[in-house]
Amino acid sequence: MDSFSYLIADAELGSFSTLVDDAELIYLYDGTLEGMLSAIFAAYGRHEDPQNIVVADDLQESMLCSYVPIKTEERYAARVKNGIIEKLGDRVYEDVKRVFLSDDTAKGGILLRYLRYAFKAGRWSFTHLSEPPVADFIELRRQVENEAHYMLMFIRFAHLENGIFYSHIEPKASVVPLITDHFAKRLNVQPFIIYDSVHGLASVYDTNRWWLVSADDIQLPAQSQLEGDFQALWQSFYDTIAIKERTNPRCQRNFMPKRFWGNMCEHIPPELRKQRPETKTPTEAARLLAANQKLLIEPQ
Amino acid sequence: MELLDKLTILADAAKYDVACTSCGVNRTAVKGQLGDTMKAGICHSFSADGRCITLLKVLFSNVCSYNCSYCVNRRSNDVPRTTFTPRELAELVIGFYRRNYIEGLFLSSAVLKSPDYTTELMCNALQLLRSSYGFRGYIHAKAIPGTSNDLLVRLGVLADRVSLNIELPSSESLRLLAPEKGRESTLGPMAFVRDGIKANYQDKQLSTLKRTRFVPAGQSTQMIVGATPESDYQILKLSSSLYRNMELKRVFFSAYIPVNTDPLLPSGIETPLLREHRLYQADWLMRFYEFNVDEIIGADDPFLDPLVDPKCNWALKHIDQFPAEINKVPYEMLLRIPGIGVRGAKRIAMARRQRSLRFEDLKRLKISLKRAQYFITCNGAYAQGVVFDPTSIYAELAGETKKRRFKGVLDGQLQLLDC
Repeated sequence: MDSFSYLIADAELGSFSTLVDDAELIYLYDGTLEGMLSAIFAAYGRHEDPQNIVVADDLQESMLCSYVPIKTEERYAARVKNGIIEKLGDRVYEDVKRVFLSDDTAKGGILLRYLRYAFKAGRWSFTHLSEPPVADFIELRRQVENEAHYMLMFIRFAHLENGIFYSHIEPKASVVPLITDHFAKRLNVQPFIIYDSVHGLASVYDTNRWWLVSADDIQLPAQSQLEGDFQALWQSFYDTIAIKERTNPRCQRNFMPKRFWGNMCEHIPPELRKQRPETKTPTEAARLLAANQKLLIEPQ
Repeated sequence: MELLDKLTILADAAKYDVACTSCGVNRTAVKGQLGDTMKAGICHSFSADGRCITLLKVLFSNVCSYNCSYCVNRRSNDVPRTTFTPRELAELVIGFYRRNYIEGLFLSSAVLKSPDYTTELMCNALQLLRSSYGFRGYIHAKAIPGTSNDLLVRLGVLADRVSLNIELPSSESLRLLAPEKGRESTLGPMAFVRDGIKANYQDKQLSTLKRTRFVPAGQSTQMIVGATPESDYQILKLSSSLYRNMELKRVFFSAYIPVNTDPLLPSGIETPLLREHRLYQADWLMRFYEFNVDEIIGADDPFLDPLVDPKCNWALKHIDQFPAEINKVPYEMLLRIPGIGVRGAKRIAMARRQRSLRFEDLKRLKISLKRAQYFITCNGAYAQGVVFDPTSIYAELAGETKKRRFKGVLDGQLQLLDC
């Protein structure tokens, strides 16, 4: 029977897909890393080959697929994790975590196919770039790492009234866990919050350590008096440094895609900007501020 | 004058400087101090002309006692003049750095009174930033030709990268257009910094912890292309010898933009960016692809072909070394295939150890076949539809460039080449 007649047969029997041999098998998980690893464990345990592993909540059911919900089990997840670390190395486990941060809905299948291949082919399988399971995995990892790097480049912090530096981002992958360490080291003298509104995740740094908070919304105090001045200075620098004779918007957008512009103060259109700094120079303002806050490094 | 106006004037005066890189040195963060540096550098924005912004690029002062013909800041130009105070500059750098606008500071200056006087002012400003503010981010400082050795030492300890500008590709041109800057006043300090870096590096072996690092990110230079009659051959010969003899990290080119009218300068003719682009491609071949300058260009044909890139050009002239069999040729030869970059060559070398590669595998390796297809075989077979003949390959590649770059209006110089 061809697949079409299977479908008809299914419809007559009133039960879908489980009877269809070539229906795509899809595992459902709860969206956590443990859930994903449990699903990978289940694929081995159940001797099945699911086409993909997707988050149960985001599911859009298709008649041609059969779905199996997989329960998240810490101990199974731990076995997969340890298996990866022992057989394939720490580095591969790091890569698995990175790929997991991707927004690509195909990531579950890509992870599973890569791990199946790697467990067979051994420790050096990550060099087998011409094998489709490896190529897909590496490509997804590259995309996540690229997005993280875009954030290192284009994140803009704004100084709030309460002394915290705040940044709002809308990345294409949930990269907050990958980038916070960079800023916590570099900007260690200032408390900051990086809030990813797409994935509802924020990282908070208090000048000692940082942690992640899931947040669907965030209430912010006003910006500090100094903030507008520095934005105005930066905007003026940004506009001035371009060579007018060489204007090249295509090249600009190529390096700095438009989707980031909304969170970068240099791209606020002139009519919406603050006209000129209110304080005479930020130097003065900085000294005033430093008098009652420890946040600025006070020159000796 | 308000800080906003000062910043605007001194950024405007610095914008023609090309170098804007924050790479070459890793400095880890220290608790309680602001900043670190990453070896690869990080861009933070891109200006409307498509250039990367990684550093706050400003002059310390645009009050100049020199009168170089090509420069906006020349003495005889009637432009607003100003000078930062060290405190103002430091506040700007710190304020911008905390907001992740920049990786650090690029500080240049006009020649205020004398090279030594200016350099001392710059050093004082950098000293304030490094010591009082504890700033550990990246600093690129311009050294002014003719600066004394003592001040170069001070500058080199405060900055990560130091650069002296060659300005023009020959000493005759320099004499003509920048009479106050001699060749010797640039090359002398450059050699001094080179020796300092070497001595400092050898010293490193003795005491790794407490040593003061001197110009850890190395030296660079830049020159204007097209304001004077030098050929690409002369320019590339010069940069190759600067890499070899002065051990520079980078040589930057800047296509001439007429900012002044001067009888000594080509009037109103902008050098096409494509020339600058081809020079950079040649520069890349020398730095990352182990090409010798004489393989890229010769005295008999002293300008790079605008229609095909220098690597294609080399390959077409050495067509006897092609096609390259992807599964057999050594890594060095992979690097020489047009359209295959360092990353691509490494990927091929890695993947072909596991099994031999076919054309569809190259796609999985993210190798662009647009140019490479003409020069390679996979297991002895050419890519589909490829005719391995230098004349037709040249026509294909040149046609591609014309389609991409010169659609619409052609400017005067390119029209000449087009016929």
